[in-house]
Amino acid sequence: MGMLLVIIAYLVYTAFWVRISLHTLIWLKSARRLISYRPVSGVTPLSAFGGSVLDLLFFRRLFESNKVLWLGSWAFHVSFLFVILRHLKYFLNPVPGCISCVQPLGIVAGYILTFSLLYVVAVRLTARTKYVSYQNYFVLGLLFFIGASGLTMRNFFKPDLIDVKNFVMGIIAFRPSALPGNFFFVLHFSLALLLIPYIPFHIFTAPFITIEARRRQQGLDLVMHDE
Amino acid sequence: MSNKRERKPARDDLSFTKELSPLHLIELDACTQCGECLKYCPVQDVTGNPLISPPEKIRVFREFIKATEGLKARLFGPGAIDRRLLEDFSKALYECTTCGACGQHCAVGIFTQRLWPMLRKEMVRRGLGPIGPQAELPKVIADTGNPYNKPAEERFAPWFPEHVKVSERADIAYYAGCTGAYEATPMVKGDAVVLGAIGEPFTMLPPAEEVCCGFPLFITGQHDMLEDLTRRLVESYKARGVRTLLCSCPCCVNIMSRDWPVFYGKELPFKIRHITQFVEDAMKSGKLRIRKELRERLIYHDPCYLSRGVGIMEEPRAILRGIPGAELLEFDRNRLKSRCCGAGGAARKVFHDNAIAMGRLTIDEAVDKGADRLILSCPACYAKVNEAMQGYDRQIRITDIMELLGDLVEKQGL
Repeated sequence: MGMLLVIIAYLVYTAFWVRISLHTLIWLKSARRLISYRPVSGVTPLSAFGGSVLDLLFFRRLFESNKVLWLGSWAFHVSFLFVILRHLKYFLNPVPGCISCVQPLGIVAGYILTFSLLYVVAVRLTARTKYVSYQNYFVLGLLFFIGASGLTMRNFFKPDLIDVKNFVMGIIAFRPSALPGNFFFVLHFSLALLLIPYIPFHIFTAPFITIEARRRQQGLDLVMHDE
Repeated sequence: MSNKRERKPARDDLSFTKELSPLHLIELDACTQCGECLKYCPVQDVTGNPLISPPEKIRVFREFIKATEGLKARLFGPGAIDRRLLEDFSKALYECTTCGACGQHCAVGIFTQRLWPMLRKEMVRRGLGPIGPQAELPKVIADTGNPYNKPAEERFAPWFPEHVKVSERADIAYYAGCTGAYEATPMVKGDAVVLGAIGEPFTMLPPAEEVCCGFPLFITGQHDMLEDLTRRLVESYKARGVRTLLCSCPCCVNIMSRDWPVFYGKELPFKIRHITQFVEDAMKSGKLRIRKELRERLIYHDPCYLSRGVGIMEEPRAILRGIPGAELLEFDRNRLKSRCCGAGGAARKVFHDNAIAMGRLTIDEAVDKGADRLILSCPACYAKVNEAMQGYDRQIRITDIMELLGDLVEKQGL
């Protein structure tokens, strides 16, 4: 079982980078072709980035569109970030001081993450949104069970953390070690592996488009007006 | 060797990304499928069909890319895409009015007003677009110079006021545009009357030379003639010593300011100005004075390609506020967030019922707000909203902003 999960982990990791590479390849291929619109002049990417800090940090565009959904979505993304930071302690040796510092916040974030997912699903269902993305619901469900299994381990069925770290570090070092004998850890880890191929690509691209949108907005006045 | 040469273009032809820039591709990847944009989509307002919604179109297009350029396609060859799926997608793409409200309200900020026309270009390349009469546009424009298949002799003659003088050469030129000249003549007549009242010399191209600006071709994804049309128009104005080109049609202004430099290959030798910019300046400098009172409540509708397209929002309002006695009302969604009246994206030529229903939503809100008059600033909006009011139980007077101004100028006397 342990070896099977290790092999799957390598496959998933490879597939993830193949996916990124394919997308990059398609972007690069199209970069050679004519961009058939006139880039807005006078607004540099840097000034647009400055203007879009709030857009990026606080999801301002979503806030303006749907404040109820924004609350859950923003809480989820921020807590997800802290949960990832907390989990870095299993991947790094020695553990940097900043990662140690973030541990208590990471624990709180684990609760927020799980409950914010429930909140988001509840908002979507009660609002009877016209458009339903089944893949989004699948990813939300997967994340919820990852969060819930993590909280179960934290509160009820604690795994041996030394075994967990050895297992994870073994994968990174290509020297696989024994799978911790905790059902919830196996579940948690397996679901995380299942999540990786379904990670929505907008996580990587949306920030760039949000900055570009700010740049376009700032430049709109310059299309027909003198500076 | 020769086989390789034959195969390569064939593989490339299967690609769905051939007409797209990296930015468009990143935008396609950036859609979160949240569905928030559906609340602002005018086509959704009247059809309620999520299968033709912005996130669904993006999802399906991503599937097309995956099927032809994904890992499986690269390892085992591109998968066949169901013809019916492609046709349905193309129909959904052409049912859109390309108003860009979805992008304006997008949680990420995707520039859909530009993305949809580029996806249409891909559909044209595949022989799946455009739809219905839109496909006749290149031939009609090549034959007559306009998308309405009307003779050049009728372009100006039926409406151009005799008392307004047009110079042979001038710093300023006025482009009437095909939709205004053939479908919304009170609007372009108003343009000419007001320009005459301002008194600055202006020139115009002869009717046979003032050809289509290219927008109907651009918006339907048929780009083959665009360079030629642009070059003909730009060179003609340049030959007349033009420094500023005025136009009242938002679609023309949009393609002139955003795309003509691309098709022309360099910066234009003149500035593009929307007529409301020129008129507002004239009112400010005292060259145009509106003394005639108009004790009415006016509600101004922002055309999508004027507000979201090129950022002209305050000039029309300043003009309307400058009319003595007039009270200006606003739609709930105004300026950058305005709602499409249904005339955009050449969809009105095929999805007539949708366009009428959308036009009636605009009429409904204007009536509910208690306006005496609905003020438009786009020939396509003007033609379609007027059509939408025919046989409708809710009625409001519809006037183009320049038509209104022209009437006031004529009533007060020069």
